[in-house]
Amino acid sequence: MAFFTRQTKPLRTGLAASALALCASLATAAEVPITIVINQSPWFPGFQAVVEKYEEDTGNTVNLDVNPFAGSLEKQRTAVRAGESPFDILIMNAGFFVEFYTGGFMQPLTGIDADFALSEDIFTFDDSVCWDATAKTITCDGDGQLVSVPVNPFLPLLHYRSDLYEEHGLEVPTTWDQLYENAKVMHNPPRMYGISQRGQRGAFDVTFDVFPYILSHGGGVIADQKGGDYTVTINSPETLAGMETYLKLANDVGHPSTAGQTQTNVIQNMATGRAGHIQGVPAPAQFDDPKQSAVVGKVDYAVVPGTEEHGPAPGLGHWLAGIPRNVSDENKQAALAFLTWFQTDEAQHAYAEAGSPPVSKAVMTSDMADEEPYRYMRALAASIPTAQLTFTIPEASQVLAVTELRLNQAIGGELELKEALNMAAEEIAKVLSDAGYDAPMLDPLQ
Amino acid sequence: MKSDTFWRHATLWPALVLFALLTILPLLKLLALSFHDVEWVNREAVWEWVGLANYARLPQDNLLRAGALNTLIFAVVAVALQMLIGFILALLTTRVVRGRVFYRTVFILPILVPGIIIGAIWKLMYSYDFGVLNSLLLWLGLAPQDWLGDPDLALLSVIIVDVWHWTPFCFLLLLAGLESLPDDIFEAAKIDGATRWQQLRHITLPLMLPTIAVTFVFRMILAFKVFDEIYLLTGGGPGTSTEVISFTIYRRFFTEDQTGYGAAMSIAVIAVIAAGIIAATRATAGKGAKA
Repeated sequence: MAFFTRQTKPLRTGLAASALALCASLATAAEVPITIVINQSPWFPGFQAVVEKYEEDTGNTVNLDVNPFAGSLEKQRTAVRAGESPFDILIMNAGFFVEFYTGGFMQPLTGIDADFALSEDIFTFDDSVCWDATAKTITCDGDGQLVSVPVNPFLPLLHYRSDLYEEHGLEVPTTWDQLYENAKVMHNPPRMYGISQRGQRGAFDVTFDVFPYILSHGGGVIADQKGGDYTVTINSPETLAGMETYLKLANDVGHPSTAGQTQTNVIQNMATGRAGHIQGVPAPAQFDDPKQSAVVGKVDYAVVPGTEEHGPAPGLGHWLAGIPRNVSDENKQAALAFLTWFQTDEAQHAYAEAGSPPVSKAVMTSDMADEEPYRYMRALAASIPTAQLTFTIPEASQVLAVTELRLNQAIGGELELKEALNMAAEEIAKVLSDAGYDAPMLDPLQ
Repeated sequence: MKSDTFWRHATLWPALVLFALLTILPLLKLLALSFHDVEWVNREAVWEWVGLANYARLPQDNLLRAGALNTLIFAVVAVALQMLIGFILALLTTRVVRGRVFYRTVFILPILVPGIIIGAIWKLMYSYDFGVLNSLLLWLGLAPQDWLGDPDLALLSVIIVDVWHWTPFCFLLLLAGLESLPDDIFEAAKIDGATRWQQLRHITLPLMLPTIAVTFVFRMILAFKVFDEIYLLTGGGPGTSTEVISFTIYRRFFTEDQTGYGAAMSIAVIAVIAAGIIAATRATAGKGAKA
């Protein structure tokens, strides 16, 4: 018995200390624990780190439910359609957020706290944070209400090997033609590919990567969704020109397996020193970490090229955080507390320091941008005003299913480009007209 | 006696009710869904009756057509190879006396590996730039192959993974069948001067036919449901070269959120597979009766 008593003394002391620590933590936690459903993206480690900082600073608890891209979307749909959502914050992608707005699933944030407002420093990404439920449109004007807070400015930047640019005396390209010439100089397969592009089909993969090409040639998928013109333009001569540019790079100076390349493959190619250029979303930590990269300090960033006529035009693939209506008032308050904190300068700085691009213009254009690890910031800040929303209709997932398949088939050579675009146009027109839109088509490409 | 029959039937009821709840009701719900389109308005699901419209769309669905064809090719080629290799391995193993436990353990290892790990292993092996297969080709002075990105190669590459993964399943069932064959028939055949080939052709194969048929049907059912290998290795691409039916249903139902149409597709596929199983079972039963 004496032995038992002696041996358990440290244990009891430890338990008492833990209990005290727990009480202290409970005492400081002002909000109930919340759960965020999020996808596994290149920027996720930065978000995870900033969540940990929030927990340390406030004592509040945030659980992360991390999934692949499509898995996150499915969980979000199921959650908002249930009696009560298990998730208090949804991290919604630019391709799909409108279906959550249209379905009436998202809680206007001023409905939780009338004083809540988006910080003036935070980008609104073409008003995609606001929803007018009456007019069923994205707008922060009139009856538009704030329903989300941006969490990541996911848009493509040109990543290039600055050491090779210096070695060959190259200039940072602003047009696709210049990029082609620069890539040609570096192209030496299989040791080095001039450019590595993502061409595999997925939920919003190859389409996202060809947007800068087709938008900068004046093309697109649907003419003007926000303005109510649903003419299908994926088989316009301008879109064709954009795709021809993409294919010219892929075929002449690209990876031999462009149609099979995922985002991970593209990042790997750059990190292992096999790609001269990639078009990627900014997640600079992965190229500056010696454990993950063979090109530390050798990757620089620029606005994606464009054409002389239209300039650069990347597609927005940003992420928005929204609170579903079907969570308790207590949880809504706790979720809003996190979003309020997330907008602060301190949080945005910490977010950037953890390796993820911030959504604050003030941070993106601060002195921080002059520091080596944050050299992507200037390019990102310059890109955001040129970026365009890609889909603002709830049927985006069906349109994307068409574009992902047909564009991939064109890249892989399974279909001839014009045939692929004409087929895509017919199928998109059907999706739109079945959903009740007036969706005229252009003459087929010959 | 009458009471016995009553109790025998009565004891079946709980199992039948459970079966109905777990299987038939979801199927009925799926069937009902297939005649509707579902739209979400103000957080409410609005079911719109569309009759057979969802079924009428099926023949025009290019992705479904490609998926059906690929599934058929995948199932027939993969299962045929698995049956053949599994049978050869089972024959060889029954003759091994020393170390048979070791061989059997080695042969069944792939079936024990979780699908996600198989996907990761083979994706790395097939990698154009870093894969061991292309390194080997380069070492032999041959050109590297785009195993998963070339439309002409991708389905074959996935079939190879499936053969590697599922041959042990065939091996195990066929080995069990071989070991249950009566020894006296083979001894009599040896005394009559039958060669090994004659024993295989005229004794082993006819006696193994029921086991072969059951194994084949099991594997065909599983092959028609292939999903994880495709999801992890190719995502159905490039183009439609590795698109399979279960992946098409997943896309339509979940990713595109076309629940009514996805339900119609599911019901149609269930009907076709059920018809195939019934036909195969009848054919096997007929052959068994003749044998």
